[in-house]
Amino acid sequence: MANLQNQPAVETHHLFKKFGSFTAVDNLNLRIECGETYGMLGPNGSGKTTTIKILCGLLKITDGEAFVLGKKAGAPSIAPRIGYMPQETALYLDLTVHDNMRLFGEIYGMSKVDIEREEANLLQFINLEKWRNAPISTLSGGMRHRVSLACSMLHNPELLFLDEPTVGVDPELRASFWDYFEALRKRGVTVIITTHYMDEAHHCSKVGLLREGQLIAEGTPEEITKSAGARSLEDAFLSLARRGEQP
Amino acid sequence: MKFSRAFAITKRIFRGLRHDRRTLALIVIAPLLAMFIFGVAFSGDVTNVGVVIVNLDDGFVSQAIIANLDEETLNIRYTDSEQEAVEEVESGKAWAAIVFPHGFSESVMAKLQDNSFAGDTAIGVKADKSNVNIVTAVMRSVTDAMMATMSQAGVEMPISVDDAPVYGKGAEFIDFFVPGIMAFAVFLLTTLLTLLSFVGERTSGTLERLRASPMKESEIVAGYAMAFGIIGMFQASLLLIVGTLVFNIIIVGNPFLAYIIVALLAVVSVSLGILLSSAAKREAQAVQFIPLIILPTFLLSGIFWPIEAIPSILRPLSYLIPPTYGVEGMRSVMLRGWGLEHIWLEIVALLAFALVFLAASIKSLQREKG
Repeated sequence: MANLQNQPAVETHHLFKKFGSFTAVDNLNLRIECGETYGMLGPNGSGKTTTIKILCGLLKITDGEAFVLGKKAGAPSIAPRIGYMPQETALYLDLTVHDNMRLFGEIYGMSKVDIEREEANLLQFINLEKWRNAPISTLSGGMRHRVSLACSMLHNPELLFLDEPTVGVDPELRASFWDYFEALRKRGVTVIITTHYMDEAHHCSKVGLLREGQLIAEGTPEEITKSAGARSLEDAFLSLARRGEQP
Repeated sequence: MKFSRAFAITKRIFRGLRHDRRTLALIVIAPLLAMFIFGVAFSGDVTNVGVVIVNLDDGFVSQAIIANLDEETLNIRYTDSEQEAVEEVESGKAWAAIVFPHGFSESVMAKLQDNSFAGDTAIGVKADKSNVNIVTAVMRSVTDAMMATMSQAGVEMPISVDDAPVYGKGAEFIDFFVPGIMAFAVFLLTTLLTLLSFVGERTSGTLERLRASPMKESEIVAGYAMAFGIIGMFQASLLLIVGTLVFNIIIVGNPFLAYIIVALLAVVSVSLGILLSSAAKREAQAVQFIPLIILPTFLLSGIFWPIEAIPSILRPLSYLIPPTYGVEGMRSVMLRGWGLEHIWLEIVALLAFALVFLAASIKSLQREKG
């Protein structure tokens, strides 16, 4: 991991995470290069969120290793360099949009001027400029989702973990989210997204299909579809899943 | 630990209060309401106690004693029949029948001249003793009237009590009570608000977002402790101001010391709230902890009655409850005027509680990375 030139954004070796007798992540080996938009695809319970939480330092590893930006997952020096958008809205409902963004800016040590500038840019992007001073409790679910995304990007992280960012978001906004993620990729930001919408995989430069905590396929969407001999990524997933079930 | 990150949490709590008027009202009104209710209801004076006097004596001594009875404490009715008076007590219409026997005045005069005189000089008090406070007030009124009558007649007791208070001169129940309610309000509200707030942080996912940021667990706890320390001191100021203006409470010591005690108690309470929150998954579960906080504090910390009145088997428990030290420390400051040289033990105890609870709450947050 010491080679900084070819250092991957994320790397895991034989990663295991168990909750009691349940294995949520089962011998996961990942290598996600810097600047990629990596889609972690799989049904509910496939270990996507657990993997993201391990990489963000929110869960301890049962066995194996995980490295983020060249450091062990959970190392304090990584936190300022990553952004995390959890599945839940994860905002303070009694605070305004501005107060929420200001709080996360302050936590990341940003100056008042930087917070104001980034906040203005992001509010424009999520189209919520008019709602800047509205308490979160007065916003719709979709609006809250947008604010949550903005809070995770405020400090311009090098690596962005987005856990189901497009759930509950209308199709038009979903499309603009993906445009923005593409813009982030062009700026060199690594984006790791979990989703169970197979059609979103085409926006990713690389995807990993997860099932029962295991990586069952990895590559570009086209590569996976082709290697499975399927017509779509969804068919490829079902085909690969069936193969895994056979004795 | 970075102060700016902890302070961001403190500011977040205050910014949230701007939009949460219900919590703001709870912080301001609850302690004041408690002070008003308890201050007025428990003013310490029992009044308007119904008693029936049966005066079978035709002399002046019984008349003089009756004239000296405190009519504010006692609501006096008269009858000629002792049986009727007792029936009034038995039926709950009166708390006591006070009976002056036949020849009471003559017997008293005879006894004054010859102590060996064997006539009946006893005032009969046939009381309903089901309420200790009321019967104590009746007995005190009769005794005071008796002493006043003897004094008016020029008969002085050979023994007297010289009431020269060292501390608490002129203190009433409200003076005793305000320091207690200050400790109670800060402890209860801070623990409760932190508990609910932290359960909210967990269920909404904000705690997870904070923990994925550069924010350390110790900074989260410190941010909360600073916010509620300030809120606790605000509540203490409010109680002191209203207590002084409305109830004219006695403050002989340095109020600054009282603030230190309140702030320490708030820090202890924040940590306790965080610790308890780890055992609650939802707000409904958190609410179940309320009796666990209220009952021991109310019963064992010396707010209403002294720890010395608690059975010795339970007394060690009193010293395991942080508000005990808050109540005792604040009473010593406000009523005795004691300084740090006297209340250091209470301060050290609260500091020890604060350090242990803070460490435990930080540890409990760190342990959540399962």
